[in-house]
Amino acid sequence: MRHVRGFDVVRPLSIGMLVFMMLPLVFLPLASIFIFGTSNGLDKFWGALTQPEAIFALKLSMATSFWATLFNVIFGLFASYVLSRYNFWGRNALIVTISLPTAIPTAVAGFALLLLWGPYGTLGRLLAPHGVQLMFTAGAIILANIFVTFPLAFGVIKPVFDTMSRSLEEASATIGATRWQTFWHVTLPSLRGAIVSGALLTFARAVGEFGSTILVSGNLAGKTQTAPLYIFAKFNEGQIEAANAIAIVLALFSFLIFSVLFFARDWLDVD
Amino acid sequence: MVKASEQLIHDSETSQTNADSRPPAASVVGLSKRFGKTSVLENISFDVAEGEVLVLLGASGSGKTTILRIIAGLEQPLKGKVILQGKDVTDLPARERGVGVIFQSYALFPKMNVEKNIGYGLRIRKRRRKEIRETVDELVKLVQLEEHRKKYPSQLSGGQQQRVAIARTLAYNPEVLLFDEPFGALDTGTRSRLRRDIRALLKKVKVPSIFITHDQEEALELGDRVAVLNKGHIEQIGTPYEIYSHPATEYVASFLGAANILEGVVRRDFVELGAAHIPITLDEGKFEQGARVKIVFRPEDVVLSRRDLLLPGQTRISPAVIEEVIFVGAYERIRLRLERNGGESIMATRLKPDPSGTRLHAGDRVVVAITSFTVLASQMNPDDTKN
Amino acid sequence: MRKTTCTRLLFRAFVCAVLTLLATSCLPKPPAEGGDITVTLYGFSIMKESLEKAIFPGFSSKWKEQHGQEVRFQSSFAGSETITNQILRGAPAEIAILSIERDAQRLKESGFVTSDWHSYPAKGIVNRTPFVIIVRRGNPKGIHDFSDLAAPGVKLIHPDPISSGGAQWSILAIYGSELRKSGGEPGEADTVRAMQTLKAIWKNVISTPGSAREARTTFELGNGDALITYELDALLMKEANAAIEIVTPKATIFSEHPAVVIDKNVGGNKRQLVDAFMQYLWSDEAQQAFVKFHFYSTTNDAFNQANTQLAHIETPFTIEAFGGWDKAYPEVIEKVFRDQVQRK
Repeated sequence: MRHVRGFDVVRPLSIGMLVFMMLPLVFLPLASIFIFGTSNGLDKFWGALTQPEAIFALKLSMATSFWATLFNVIFGLFASYVLSRYNFWGRNALIVTISLPTAIPTAVAGFALLLLWGPYGTLGRLLAPHGVQLMFTAGAIILANIFVTFPLAFGVIKPVFDTMSRSLEEASATIGATRWQTFWHVTLPSLRGAIVSGALLTFARAVGEFGSTILVSGNLAGKTQTAPLYIFAKFNEGQIEAANAIAIVLALFSFLIFSVLFFARDWLDVD
Repeated sequence: MVKASEQLIHDSETSQTNADSRPPAASVVGLSKRFGKTSVLENISFDVAEGEVLVLLGASGSGKTTILRIIAGLEQPLKGKVILQGKDVTDLPARERGVGVIFQSYALFPKMNVEKNIGYGLRIRKRRRKEIRETVDELVKLVQLEEHRKKYPSQLSGGQQQRVAIARTLAYNPEVLLFDEPFGALDTGTRSRLRRDIRALLKKVKVPSIFITHDQEEALELGDRVAVLNKGHIEQIGTPYEIYSHPATEYVASFLGAANILEGVVRRDFVELGAAHIPITLDEGKFEQGARVKIVFRPEDVVLSRRDLLLPGQTRISPAVIEEVIFVGAYERIRLRLERNGGESIMATRLKPDPSGTRLHAGDRVVVAITSFTVLASQMNPDDTKN
Repeated sequence: MRKTTCTRLLFRAFVCAVLTLLATSCLPKPPAEGGDITVTLYGFSIMKESLEKAIFPGFSSKWKEQHGQEVRFQSSFAGSETITNQILRGAPAEIAILSIERDAQRLKESGFVTSDWHSYPAKGIVNRTPFVIIVRRGNPKGIHDFSDLAAPGVKLIHPDPISSGGAQWSILAIYGSELRKSGGEPGEADTVRAMQTLKAIWKNVISTPGSAREARTTFELGNGDALITYELDALLMKEANAAIEIVTPKATIFSEHPAVVIDKNVGGNKRQLVDAFMQYLWSDEAQQAFVKFHFYSTTNDAFNQANTQLAHIETPFTIEAFGGWDKAYPEVIEKVFRDQVQRK
């Protein structure tokens, strides 16, 4: 390629190639959801959205993801603190174990939970006589979400902890603050960005979770059917438009979350 | 001549006694610390009097940072005690000691502005909002940062950050201030200016302070007293004048500035330095006759004479040949080689000569004399110095 | 760190989003709440419409008349094997309607079903439907019988026998039909040829979805030239104006769907209700409803006349032709299909 003075041909070429590669892999599949979902007319789209079971599924997804996120962020904070500050035998093994859930296929995760907590499972059978039934409830969905998204918030928060200067905490201590006061006033604000992005990441992932949910929830429409499960059920029934309507809502929602993550990133990782 | 210097020494001793009559604001006794097998500190003891500025001077690895952290409570000593305002705080955690630490990086809380940083100490002590506001106002004025009070640390210069760090510690009336190489991150111009400002500030608030630094000029300018550290033990503690003019060991001598060192032998009432006789009577308990000693003198104490004409108070050493004359702005640095057995090379400095004065050039033969010196045992035992 | 107006705005929007999220974070109440009592039923995939639209409402109003209680049904539908596995792992089903008797047997063997469903009318079979072939409108590949599916270039959608009861019926339909062709009853027939036809057909399968329903949806989306499925699904597709034609093979199997009570999950207070529902399934009202939804009744063949769309099968056979599921499963599904056909 002859270099023409003043004109770098590599630039438009590589940008073009990037967009071109993304077309069939990302853009078109996303677009097809939107096109297909509204192809039968907006009134049908709205009708599908306002089905009580559809609304319930969306709400259930939001609620279960919320609780799973809350737990995993708090745990992520705690784990980051302990694993960053203290050195002990087995520490690295713990760190690796925390990261394991992402490598496990979600169906396997769901299955494992059933084996453990199902009414005939290893631990579940001890609870069943007392009337405690963990599986096939919204609680089971939350448990499955916690497992599957376990390392996400931790993975975002820990590096910030690692690079945080110890002298800030030491300064706070010499000024007279207790460990808790230091954590609350000094450590936490510095982690603000990581906490928010960790939470958003966890939440987005939990909302879209399918493989484990379908196993542990029992998939009861109107009771334990999350949005992804609902989409799948509608697909199976042949109600493609209804499935797409909810799929569009989920897609838009994820889009919103990642836009926030992107555009607010300056605010998020200050200092 | 001797009388004058005796007077000086007497004065410094008196000041020491005055300080001793009141209990010290802070003291460490017999501190020792080990990292693994290496001994980092050995039997460190010193006092800081009320309102005094003490400087711990030493090269990196000398243990000075460790001492600071032990006093602050960020590390525990293997042996020894830390006493603040008469109270043994060795077993107390950092937050209960009431120390104010100014870290090398200042460690300002990045998510709080200047006001919030300064008020932090009071906020965590749950003081009333009014009290906090008033104290913060006072301190912001004291460190002259009124226009910047709403700014965040990332928006401040190094010097400004340091002032915030100081104000932050003053807010809760600490027993002692600890400065960890506070001027390290600054350029020379800012550094000297800040030194003066900080020293003035400290004198104003009258809080005893301990500085650590590796810069001897800084130590001499800042400290009421300076402790020189070498590999975990204290070589000498004294006023800047004392340690500079009467270093107790060879290490102190060379650390604080250029030092010329010549070897000699103890005789009855002089020290034999080749052909030269240095008249001085040494304590026979410390120096036996015939013992080898070192004569230490500063370049600025060297007098050069073309015609071997000496004034009273100038002690003749030896003739020498000038090897190099370097012009360093305010003064000249002259390297000479002594014409004697050792053939040692010594450094002399003299103020820039006025146009009519004698010029010296390489190759000139002159006679070297000294106006002040210290005698050290060859094994570097401290000695009672007499001029 | 200047806070630009854009960032401020985004931050506010974000906070609002978080607050709304918090407001809805309490787990939502299921819709249509208000039932006094609930019955949980797990059914295999194609049962969904008939149950939800006719059987459940029909029973609820009857029960309300008689007992004044609101009955609410909670249901979950998937491939027959899938729901059996779910129940075995503890899914809270009280009643299950399955595609194959074998699944009911599995539940019995594991102790989840203790009563004998054969004591119900029609030996516990709720309804039945023959297996037919669905092709694209115009039948471009000229399929007229199962064996035509073995022709090269024909792309077949077939559910996965591991998870779908319908898939197993389909295999039996193909195999049995071929046996019929080659002469008389199975046993006398040319089993080798039947197996080879099955093998050739299976080579043309391009996708094996998890249930009959999923297979139907896959086909509807334009995949494949042909689909073997329950006739009722084919009729539902026709009702929805899909561009398809139904090919009725000369000989085919009638699938028979048992309903069982999961005794292990039924509490004492529910027993009466569950029993009543089971009985209802064989009531005239329910059976006629099933026919409306393109099933064949198992109590009264006369009902079937009401649905003119139901095909007439020339040579129908049932699982009895194979000696029941006890024989059919090991001999056909395992020995013939799994060991010979599926083996590459």
